[in-house]
Amino acid sequence: MKNEVRRRLLYGGPQRPFYAVKRNSSLGKRRRRGGVKSRSFEKRGQHPGTRGRQAEARLATRLVRAPAMLKCGMGGSQVKVFGKAIQALSRVSDELWLDPSEKGLALRSVNSCRSAYGCVLFSPVFFQQYQWSTSVKMNDNDTISNLNCKLGMKSILPIFKCLNSLERNVESCKIFTRSDKCKVVIQFFCRHGIKRTHNVCFQESQPLQVIFEKSTCSNTLMIQPRVLAEAIVLFTSSQEEVTLAVTPFNVCIKSSNEESMDLTSSVHSEMFVGPDEFDFFQIGVDTEITFCFKELKGMLIFSEATHAPISIHFDFPGKPMALSIDDMLLEANFILATLADEPSRASSPQSLCLSQKRKRSDLIRSNSKAGKNVTSKALEHISRKAAPKRLCPNETLTDISALENCGSPPLKRVSGDVGEVPASSVRRAEEVLASPCLRKFSCMFFGAVSSDQHFSHPFDSLATASDSEEDVNYGSFSTF
Amino acid sequence: MKFRAKIVDAACLNHFTRVSNMIAKLAKTCTLRISPDKLNFILSDKLASGGVSMWCELEQENFFSEFQMEGISAANNEIYLELTSENLSRALKTAQNARALKIKLTNKHYPCLTVSIELLSVSSSSRIVTHDIPVKVIPRRLWKDLQEPTVPDSDIIEANLNGELNLKIETELVCVTTHFKDLGNPPLASENASQARNPEQMAEVHIDIRKLLQFLAGQQANPTKAVCNIVNNKIVHFDLLHEDVSLQYFIPALS
Repeated sequence: MKNEVRRRLLYGGPQRPFYAVKRNSSLGKRRRRGGVKSRSFEKRGQHPGTRGRQAEARLATRLVRAPAMLKCGMGGSQVKVFGKAIQALSRVSDELWLDPSEKGLALRSVNSCRSAYGCVLFSPVFFQQYQWSTSVKMNDNDTISNLNCKLGMKSILPIFKCLNSLERNVESCKIFTRSDKCKVVIQFFCRHGIKRTHNVCFQESQPLQVIFEKSTCSNTLMIQPRVLAEAIVLFTSSQEEVTLAVTPFNVCIKSSNEESMDLTSSVHSEMFVGPDEFDFFQIGVDTEITFCFKELKGMLIFSEATHAPISIHFDFPGKPMALSIDDMLLEANFILATLADEPSRASSPQSLCLSQKRKRSDLIRSNSKAGKNVTSKALEHISRKAAPKRLCPNETLTDISALENCGSPPLKRVSGDVGEVPASSVRRAEEVLASPCLRKFSCMFFGAVSSDQHFSHPFDSLATASDSEEDVNYGSFSTF
Repeated sequence: MKFRAKIVDAACLNHFTRVSNMIAKLAKTCTLRISPDKLNFILSDKLASGGVSMWCELEQENFFSEFQMEGISAANNEIYLELTSENLSRALKTAQNARALKIKLTNKHYPCLTVSIELLSVSSSSRIVTHDIPVKVIPRRLWKDLQEPTVPDSDIIEANLNGELNLKIETELVCVTTHFKDLGNPPLASENASQARNPEQMAEVHIDIRKLLQFLAGQQANPTKAVCNIVNNKIVHFDLLHEDVSLQYFIPALS
């Protein structure tokens, strides 16, 4: 307990209260059929970082405290679907959040430049057994916090590697958490009485969420994954981006290349698909959107396991698009940023988005911890439950100075996928520099909450932590 | 310059795909020569390819149901294009069950070989897939480098006139020899030269085994006939004859 509080102290400015956002209020309407469980956030002055907390903590050790937990079990055939979900999310980023709630177990992943988000929600019916609880702390002010469990993909992906052999051999699988040791335990009960146990350390971190109003998109397509898979074959793995061009008469999936005279440059490929190949075809506005190929492939991997049709919701370039699968047992959503055409194409939310971003990077640069409340009127609302430690200025791909300012330590420290992200974000930065007409990915997460002040380099905090005794526990997280 | 061709027969399409795969395995970049009755894939001996050269010839009639071309000029009715062979083979890979395949020379910002595939989909509406493969047109002054190589007068070596072929590898520790017997000797062009040779005498050439391996690995189908010509310590020449495709491959000797 003492350890936990100490850790939280380091995450943000100790003196800053946490202006929490109540999820419901910013939405306006419920985004899911099941409704949103309202989670009451800590009241002012109760931020984990406040000094008062330490005093509380000493008190708390004497009180009953039940940690948040998750316990679920699934059969052999579900393991494959679960594993495919993890594989698909691994295309988004190198971190995975396990987020249990009454709606089910959600696996979430966000890439470090915030241009892609994936979430697979397994409903309780998917599991043979499903139990979860929030942590309850009995003291003067009730604080409830969920299981904030973040795993590194490098740890969990190998466990679900050979899905075909898992499907054959595994009879059931149990996943449960041990909060006292910050571990997730995955047990496979295989044939011939073999039991395989994996212990994966997790990091306490509150997950991010993107709220995307699919129903308000003017273009919706629903297609069998097989058709998309045939289209994907056209493109090489070196293809970075694909473009989806729609008119009311047909849909074209094509490779998106910059013009170049190089012979070894990729072949430009296009595939036209007629409306009758879609299960659902509604095109409100002719448009062409360009997005990352890698994440599309990730989604396709998952759809192979579910055999359910994929829905694509999108509008105009610049606005994020959604790829989703809705099944009785699970719901998968991949929200991808799309390439915006020009800055002059200023539909106001977008330009607002840019100014918000600049404001944020200013915050970062000046390292000010002024509790400025940056509210967002952006199209996509962000529900952010806590200050994410990892938010690196490089998320604002367009803001070059922010990129430069990022400094190498955070980039290196951040999990593996940044290895690839800087390459592409730097590349885009170069593009931006080169061409007067700026093409950029619109960032989905923008100055939503005032948790901005926590963007101070978390690694500075870690640096101080290393002086303390508790850094022994911390060290185990450095593998992420 | 114009070029349009169309394949409708599934078997021809398959065969063309296989040829293109074979070329892709043998040469990263190659030259496609289009003439009124033939298509050639050429790799000329440059240092980049390690000295090997390749010449592959197809009779266009055997593949294409429609074939029209117009060369650079009436006098030089040929087109030479340089392309990355893998691009072509990958584009053709998507044409597995195509109803029709069209290849055209186009100019979309830069010269391209556009492969247009009409696929038949389950819902009976055809799907059109297009691949624009960037190509470079080779100017006429460089054409002389890309002519059909003359097969040198060769002695059958490491094989002798009695139909024996030995493949030998030597390392410090081991020496392995594979003996092939009862191979045929094709009749030599010049009878006079052969009379002087002793049928028993072996001629040999040392070549880089990787190149040989690359050549053999690239073979997709069994040829009807394979001829191996060896010039003593100079070069080995493989001539593979499939039904309607002939492939000649030259590997120089290691110095």
